[in-house]
Amino acid sequence: MDAYREILGGLPTTLMLGLLALAIGAIGALPLMFARRARSLLLRVPARAAIDLLRAVPPIVWLFLVFFGLTEFDVTLQPFTASVLALGVVSCAYLAEIYRGGFMAIDHGQVEASQALGLRRRDALRFVLAPQALRVALPAIVTYALALLKDTSLAYTIGVREVLFRANEETQLGAASPLSILLFTAAIYAVLSIPTALLARRLDTALRSKVAR
Amino acid sequence: MALKRRNRGETAEHPPAGDGTVDRVAAVLPAPPLSQAGEPRAAGAPVVRLTDIAKRYGDHVVLDGVNLEVREGEALAIVGPSGAGKSTLLRCVNFLEQPDRGRIEVAGHAIGVDEKPSSRRLAELRRSSGMVFQAFNLFPHYTVLQNVSFAQRRVLGRTAEEADACSMQLLERVGLKDKAAQYPARCSGGQQQRAAIARALALNPKVMLFDEPTSALDPELGLEVLAVMRQLADEGMTMIVVTHEMNFAKNVADEVAVMCDGGIIEQGDPKQVLVDPAHARTRQFLRAVLER
Repeated sequence: MDAYREILGGLPTTLMLGLLALAIGAIGALPLMFARRARSLLLRVPARAAIDLLRAVPPIVWLFLVFFGLTEFDVTLQPFTASVLALGVVSCAYLAEIYRGGFMAIDHGQVEASQALGLRRRDALRFVLAPQALRVALPAIVTYALALLKDTSLAYTIGVREVLFRANEETQLGAASPLSILLFTAAIYAVLSIPTALLARRLDTALRSKVAR
Repeated sequence: MALKRRNRGETAEHPPAGDGTVDRVAAVLPAPPLSQAGEPRAAGAPVVRLTDIAKRYGDHVVLDGVNLEVREGEALAIVGPSGAGKSTLLRCVNFLEQPDRGRIEVAGHAIGVDEKPSSRRLAELRRSSGMVFQAFNLFPHYTVLQNVSFAQRRVLGRTAEEADACSMQLLERVGLKDKAAQYPARCSGGQQQRAAIARALALNPKVMLFDEPTSALDPELGLEVLAVMRQLADEGMTMIVVTHEMNFAKNVADEVAVMCDGGIIEQGDPKQVLVDPAHARTRQFLRAVLER
């Protein structure tokens, strides 16, 4: 029983890691997306290159680059910090594309109506475009957040004491059968993910029923 | 301005409401006199003046140096075949399209095309006009009331109470009071378009621009929108209406302009131009309309 309690003790670390990375991504994706949509090539081309590169390399490689690679520049990060940074930066790229998809789904007539009313660009963005884009992007954002939650387990490879790290420890200590320990670990992730997905689906349906034809 | 705008409806039988206290809300839509359509009206000062407007997309000339003037209280209909440049011309009035050449003047705000207008001057120009689109373009995440109130608060700086009070009056005028709390998706096309008209009127525009407002509607729903537009015209609102509704052009508009291939080929009294056109191309177009 102690083994299971020990594994559960990693849950706060797993959740913190996922939520912090998601927060970095959710905020950092905004400037990245605006740069990607900018008219100026000077903004658009680097943003696009950054997004492509971040998504082209596996997250675990980014994790190693941040944790081990940066030591060559005398930057030594704690494993947890390195994990938050690596997963956060990768999330910026994915979420920037998800946001962009949301904005692209908006009918251009919404922009024209805002302009014709004499709204400032800032107001049009904040009150007309962003809410509609967010609504479109919501299912994709939740899907990404759940994938990110599972990717937090990568942090185990650099010694962050999250759920999977502790499960691995317990199997080696032999306190319980490896199968039951791993099934327990799987259940933890599932219990976190499935209700979130259901909630998101319900929210999406509720929002959609208001605006759907 | 609000008082002067009534001039079209003011006749001996229907003098203006003489209380002289026109508050901001009432100024949006003065009390409607009965229809005076067909009677000659005193023309006011020009509200919209387009000078030598040209626009091309690559090699394709959309507008070829168009001049147009609309006077206060005048309802101008623009008709003509597809691709003639009607909508493009209308969209130049509030700079949704930037012309390549020419000068645009709306209610004293002038923008020449050789300059790059600042966003503040563009906003001033756009604030003087209200636009109604073919596809309504209501904000789907706002209720009908919020759609009408939103820009009043953000653009005119009205409080929520002021804006909502004004909106409810406008919604009553377009017959949508009971739809105020509904989302646009729950409204018929005709209701949505009437809400869009209320939304544009809420900013006290000097001129209303209608871009084929009934083309996306079935004939019945189109009629309820046309009725609201007719009421507006009778109340003396200055309007430019791009339309294929020949009855509206003939019976409600004070003036009609026929466009073809990027220019105005004929302009004048609708009862003259649409009944006995001088231009062969106009005759051809009208024959096609009648044969439908």
